[in-house]
Amino acid sequence: MKPKAVFAVMVASAGLVAACASSFPPPNNEWAAAQGDVGRAQAGGAPGVPDARLHLQLAEEDLQKAKALIGTDDDNNRRALSLTEVARSEAQLALSLGKQAEADGQARQAQAELAKAASH
Amino acid sequence: MNWNRIAVLAVPVTLFGVAACGGERIPPKGLVDARTDYYQARDGLAGRLDPTDVHEADVALQKAERAWENEPNHPITVDLAIVADRKALLAQSVAATMKSQQDVQTATAQLQDLKNQQLRSAQGQLTGMAQTLGATQMQLEQQKATAEAQRQQLLALEAKLHDARDTIAKIASVKDDARGMVITLPGEVLFKTAKYELKAGAMAKLDQIAEQLKGKELPITVYGFTDNVGAGDMNMTLSQNRAQSVRDYLVSKGIPSDLVKAQGKGADDFIADNTSIEGRAQNRRVEIVVQPKQ
Repeated sequence: MKPKAVFAVMVASAGLVAACASSFPPPNNEWAAAQGDVGRAQAGGAPGVPDARLHLQLAEEDLQKAKALIGTDDDNNRRALSLTEVARSEAQLALSLGKQAEADGQARQAQAELAKAASH
Repeated sequence: MNWNRIAVLAVPVTLFGVAACGGERIPPKGLVDARTDYYQARDGLAGRLDPTDVHEADVALQKAERAWENEPNHPITVDLAIVADRKALLAQSVAATMKSQQDVQTATAQLQDLKNQQLRSAQGQLTGMAQTLGATQMQLEQQKATAEAQRQQLLALEAKLHDARDTIAKIASVKDDARGMVITLPGEVLFKTAKYELKAGAMAKLDQIAEQLKGKELPITVYGFTDNVGAGDMNMTLSQNRAQSVRDYLVSKGIPSDLVKAQGKGADDFIADNTSIEGRAQNRRVEIVVQPKQ
């Protein structure tokens, strides 16, 4: 093998090794998306509903744990991504529970108005 | 040591160890919760109303199950179980929200129907009341018109009666008392002594009186009176016969028979002293009482 070819193979191998060494990128975009979900849950009435508030709090905690892990190493990036997914599911559930409470209230009010009108 | 006893103890312990290692592992609580909540979502309201979220929960649960098979002790396995559980709960929550929204729509539609029904009922009642009011007003107007017509008739009648009174006053004594207008004719003018056939001159006067009373439609009573000369029963009969003669004559001249009655009063209701000739002459009389219209 010619010296140039040997050098090319060495460079390619070094690049491949480097790529394998940082195979799991920091989940910054996913974390930002999860933060968006938490913000929507906060604005969507979740803090006013006990069940929703609990899941919102869990989402915020998971988000903080993920933030602390991001960028340290591949394993932590992987775990941070997982925690980010957990945070998203908690936040989406919190938002839905907030909407559910509002819809339940509207349904009760509509039933009460109907009963009141029917009694007249 | 007895090797047989060692063998007896060792065999069950070994079998237990093998069973423990190769037996079924106990899944983490998060995965158990995820399974339970997923089945509730799939078999409940969410399965009908929100199949998309139920499917996502199913996919997440399968992912968690695979992780549990492959890496049971890895923290990410627990994370995946939590994600699967939350997605199942999310499907249930979304379905419950949709159900409540449907309930709101149903109740709102029912409320609107009810209000429309009540409005129609109220409008019907209002229309009925308006019709009743209109009919009542019309009746009131009719009654008012009738009353006015009656009042006018009464006024006209009074005017005619007044004219009649003036005319009659020229040929007889006329006065008013509690019974009505009283026309008094002396007995001598109408009858011969102890008779009840009318004299020719009496008929002329009664013609004028009948002419004035005709058409007035007023009830009339003719009373006959005598003086106190003679027996009381004879006087009573004579007074009755005289009253009847005058009554019959008035009827013959056009006064409706059902409006004219005759009544003899004898000598009882005298108006003058029966001890004098003049007084007895005044007591012998016929009174034609025209009663006011009721």
